[in-house]
Amino acid sequence: MNIEANSGARDKHLLIAIDDTQDSKRAILYVGEFLGGFPGFKITLLSIVQEPEEDFFRSEQERVSWINDKKKEMSGLLDKYRQVLIQSGFQEDKVDVKLCIGDAKSLSDMILSFQCDIGCCTVVVGRHHKSKTEEFLFGSISSQLIHEAKNCAVWVVE
Amino acid sequence: MGKKASDKTSLYTEEELLEMVRLWVPPERVPGRVRIKDTSDFFQVDYDDVVVLGGVPYLVRNNEREGRFGIEDQQKFWVKRAIDLKTGRIKILKWTFWETFTGRIGSLVFECVRSPLKEARILNIVRGRPDFMQGETFMDAAGNPLRIMDFIHGKSLEDITLTLGASHEDYFFNHYPGLLSEFITAVEAIAFLHAHGEKHGDLRRDHLLKDNATGRYRWIDFDYNYRHRANKFSYDMFGLGNILIYITGRGDVTTHNLSHNAPDTLSGLDSDDLNIVFNYRVANLRKVYPYIPEPLNRVLLHFSAGASVYYLNTAELLADLKEAFSILK
Ligand SMILES: Nc1ncnc2c1ncn2[C@@H]1O[C@H](COP(=O)(O)OP(=O)(O)OP(=O)(O)O)[C@@H](O)[C@H]1O
Ligand SMILES: [Mg+2]
Repeated sequence: MNIEANSGARDKHLLIAIDDTQDSKRAILYVGEFLGGFPGFKITLLSIVQEPEEDFFRSEQERVSWINDKKKEMSGLLDKYRQVLIQSGFQEDKVDVKLCIGDAKSLSDMILSFQCDIGCCTVVVGRHHKSKTEEFLFGSISSQLIHEAKNCAVWVVE
Repeated sequence: MGKKASDKTSLYTEEELLEMVRLWVPPERVPGRVRIKDTSDFFQVDYDDVVVLGGVPYLVRNNEREGRFGIEDQQKFWVKRAIDLKTGRIKILKWTFWETFTGRIGSLVFECVRSPLKEARILNIVRGRPDFMQGETFMDAAGNPLRIMDFIHGKSLEDITLTLGASHEDYFFNHYPGLLSEFITAVEAIAFLHAHGEKHGDLRRDHLLKDNATGRYRWIDFDYNYRHRANKFSYDMFGLGNILIYITGRGDVTTHNLSHNAPDTLSGLDSDDLNIVFNYRVANLRKVYPYIPEPLNRVLLHFSAGASVYYLNTAELLADLKEAFSILK
């Protein structure tokens, strides 16, 4: 396949879901190394801030400031990872960031509904090394993505 | 959220209160005098005291007790029985305050909270339903939410399970189908809660009481919350799984018990057959009781150490349970 001839066609769109762990960082570095410098790819970096219930805070004020801090932290991280990808060879206009706030029943569902909305063909996540018990009690985004994704590929970066 | 409790002690004179007390309390139990206590200091509220909440006087009786994991009869000074002096009805007064703590399961650490607001929210959501405890929330003088719950006369699922049948086999064929059907209804109640975005937070077999008045099970105790991660309801699903294993085994089937009563059965088990979290309880009960049908046992195996997929929500569990139930009959 001639890559140059393809550059006018629609870009292949990847969604990378990130949080504040090293696992997400590995996913970013992997995509940067693997695809950086090739034309024809577009990336959206997604971070979902889980809004904790009011129960976890002494006051509404405390809750709002927790969410604001978290939003700031994650949007900083999104920008940083965007730069990492640009430095690995992606064009500036090919890397978007998106920050969502929500009370999702399942994070993987939220990732997949976003994937569906923007119509990207590949979802990339880093894998947390969890014990079986932890996965059982609190869920695992990568396992759930693998089970539930439709019409797209899932890359789980070790 | 809660109603304001008018703590006006002047609403009733001591003589008026004693007159009301005499209506509901046998003569030998009527105290010489009653004192109205301020609800903002719950440590000071004792047996025979009266508290006034929302204009209604309540005569405080004993603390509730809960036998849990071998600690029998743990007194709960924050959960008190009381008599509504206007109607004579028995109530439960619950005075827990907001506290955070760390939940631990093995090496796993997670943030937990006990939140009166959460219990108050859920009491509003489930009002009028036969499958949840009923109650109201009042703000005391210090602004703390107090809950006043209808007392449920009846035994817990934990106790009922142990009283049914002469043997496991007798239990399984003659009592279990009925119990499983009741359990399915109780899971549907949790599905309702989840659909409203709320977790139960502490799903245990002693938090399901069979109300003598309706013959139906009601969930109690809604004030725990855990900080969820990838999946909001997984921890609740774990609670439901434990209860299901418990009723299917007619109590906990533990490796310890088997080593005494059925060493051959024990040697046929491996670590995959045990409960994923409580790895001294058997989840693969068909290996102990071979007449447990495959479809039912497959549901249990989702909660075993050997599982490779877990139930993520009540809908998945309910679908499998209903199928397993249809084959039982
Ligand atoms: N509505 C009710 N009707 C009858 N008994 C009740 C009711 N609510 C609570 N109880 C009894 O009081 C006990 C303690 O209540 P509850 O479980 O709500 O308190 P808790 O302090 O949150 O318990 P836990 O230690 O489980 O957190 C229950 O286990 C039950 O025996
Ligand atoms: Mg309790």
